[in-house]
Amino acid sequence: MLRRTLAALAAAALLATPAFALDAGAYKVGFVTDNTGPLAFAGMSFSRGAELAAAQISAGGYMGIGTKLELVEKEGAGDAARSIQSYNQLIADRSVLATSCCILSPIAGALKPIALNNKVPLVIYGATAPGLPSLPYVYSVTGLPGPAEVAMSKHIAAQAKPQTVAYFVLSDNEAFQARFKASQAAMEAAGAKTVGVVNVLSADTDFTAPATQAIALKPDLMMVYTTQSPAAGIVAAVRARGWTGMMSANDAISPAAVFKKIGPPLAGVPFPVNFSPDASETPKAKGFIEAYTAKHGSAPDLYSAQGYTAIWLIAQGLKSLPGKPTREALATALSKITVLEHDVYGGLPITGGQAETRYTLFLNWTADGKITAWKP
Amino acid sequence: MELFFAQLLNGCALGALYGLFGIGFGLVFATMGILNAAQGAYASWAAIVAMYAIDLLGLPFPVAVLVGILAGGMVAVLVDQIGFEPLRRFGPGLHQAAMLGALITSIAFWIMLESAAGFATGQQSLAFPPGSYPAAVFHAGPMMLPAMQAITLAGLVVVGGGMHWINTRTRFGAAMRAVGWDPVAAGLGGVNARVIVIATAFLSGGISGFAGILSGISTANVSASLGQGLMLKGFAAVVVGGYDDIRGTAIAGLALGVLEVFCAQYLSSSWRDGFAYALLLGFLMLRPRGLFGSAGFTRA
Repeated sequence: MLRRTLAALAAAALLATPAFALDAGAYKVGFVTDNTGPLAFAGMSFSRGAELAAAQISAGGYMGIGTKLELVEKEGAGDAARSIQSYNQLIADRSVLATSCCILSPIAGALKPIALNNKVPLVIYGATAPGLPSLPYVYSVTGLPGPAEVAMSKHIAAQAKPQTVAYFVLSDNEAFQARFKASQAAMEAAGAKTVGVVNVLSADTDFTAPATQAIALKPDLMMVYTTQSPAAGIVAAVRARGWTGMMSANDAISPAAVFKKIGPPLAGVPFPVNFSPDASETPKAKGFIEAYTAKHGSAPDLYSAQGYTAIWLIAQGLKSLPGKPTREALATALSKITVLEHDVYGGLPITGGQAETRYTLFLNWTADGKITAWKP
Repeated sequence: MELFFAQLLNGCALGALYGLFGIGFGLVFATMGILNAAQGAYASWAAIVAMYAIDLLGLPFPVAVLVGILAGGMVAVLVDQIGFEPLRRFGPGLHQAAMLGALITSIAFWIMLESAAGFATGQQSLAFPPGSYPAAVFHAGPMMLPAMQAITLAGLVVVGGGMHWINTRTRFGAAMRAVGWDPVAAGLGGVNARVIVIATAFLSGGISGFAGILSGISTANVSASLGQGLMLKGFAAVVVGGYDDIRGTAIAGLALGVLEVFCAQYLSSSWRDGFAYALLLGFLMLRPRGLFGSAGFTRA
């Protein structure tokens, strides 16, 4: 009787485990963090999002019965040399099947050839320069900001009808130069004349002089194309000098930490995002926001969502493979993914390894620190 | 023309920060002969402490500034007594080796203090709470002067003037200069060199800390790396102004700030730092003792 019962149980177990399934065990994903250094403000959000994804994937058995996803983190500190060193350490461990990295495009560009030469999948979670993905090894889960910013420029031009525009641009960052030029073309096509371009540098911290320069141009609208710290500093400096005219910025000013730092001067400054804890309403987004808040004690931001998405993409690739997959097999599996199963954006198709933004939200901060839909 | 004067004011306010920081930096160099790479970290720590004094303890702005200045001074004294004091025991015969040792020690303290500051700020760029500091804007015709710029300019005048007076008109200033010249001879003349060194370190850290607090408010950036920018420009102000002259440092700081702002306004922001450091290089080559430095000063 006992023998018969055991045989029945074994048969049931065999039937419950499909032949085409990942073997039980832990699967390692290397993650280059930027939790220290100049980009730590965003780097910690990316890491926390990735850690939550790994915990959920492991706890829920998403990749198969008895499988776990283990995140192996090495610090890059937003520095190219240190990121390369950390990345080489990660891929030297053959049990690391896939990797994820990079906020800055130049660093992502430096790690890309290493990933290609070593045939290891690399999912970029933050860098936004076009052309980074390279099938079947390199992917980007960050929707390119250019199209979203162009859409916002058209939206502002239609709603607020500015006649003149002044731009703040990072002169030492090619990606922001390209984003500015795309938006400038959209504004000019809508009839908004460029009255001046104020160049700032990534490392700048004092924006009183650039603010004075822009105010002297007397534009109807000021548009800011810089990374987070300069963007926040520029808005604060312009408002501190008494200018109450219209301003716009980019997704860099959307995290709650930016409002905590700058406060009411950010009110009414529109920015385009594809995820916001205050505005994203799909069930997966709400689940993510709830779980993240429970784990970390604060709501996620767009960076957390990107780190989270990068790890879910890798898990989806692993889930589709049988037995004990190799890096090459995982790369091939990832290249076949066009729709993300665990998508907090309400639509993030992947084409040629590059995630695309399907929905863009035009939001702004209110004076009391809430995020709402932007209205002129 | 209106823009010219507005940017001139911006340049002076920025330069006042460089000048203030440079006064603290130059004090240590002139008195102790130490090129202190950790000086920037004093500015960062003073700003961090002052910010938390407002944010967490709810102290009023002037008290928080005072607490920050005290913190900057105390960090400087700790670094001096832990890092530099043992090197002074090498004695005059090993002076060059001790100077090199002090530079390397200061680099070690810079890295340690900056790392610790990173943890204190959660690796974030924070800011003084909005509304916690004077934010009024003064208008004079078409010109406007934000309150923090006015405070920064006044700070340079008060601190620069005060330090110049202390240095040239008081017994303490004479003792500082004597210790800077030869601590052994100063000791033989009745000066307690160690007390003077500790007091100088405290003043130096406090003044650089004051610059850090003002910079943190003006730029809405309180972070571990706050002091780095001040450090490079403050050093340039000390070199251009003359290593042992407070007036020179203050004037050179102002000139650097104005040059920086005018370069960005009328030439290119990309050339801005290049011009500032070309000025530094020019002074090192053509007038190594700076604007007001004494001809006999040899530590450059």
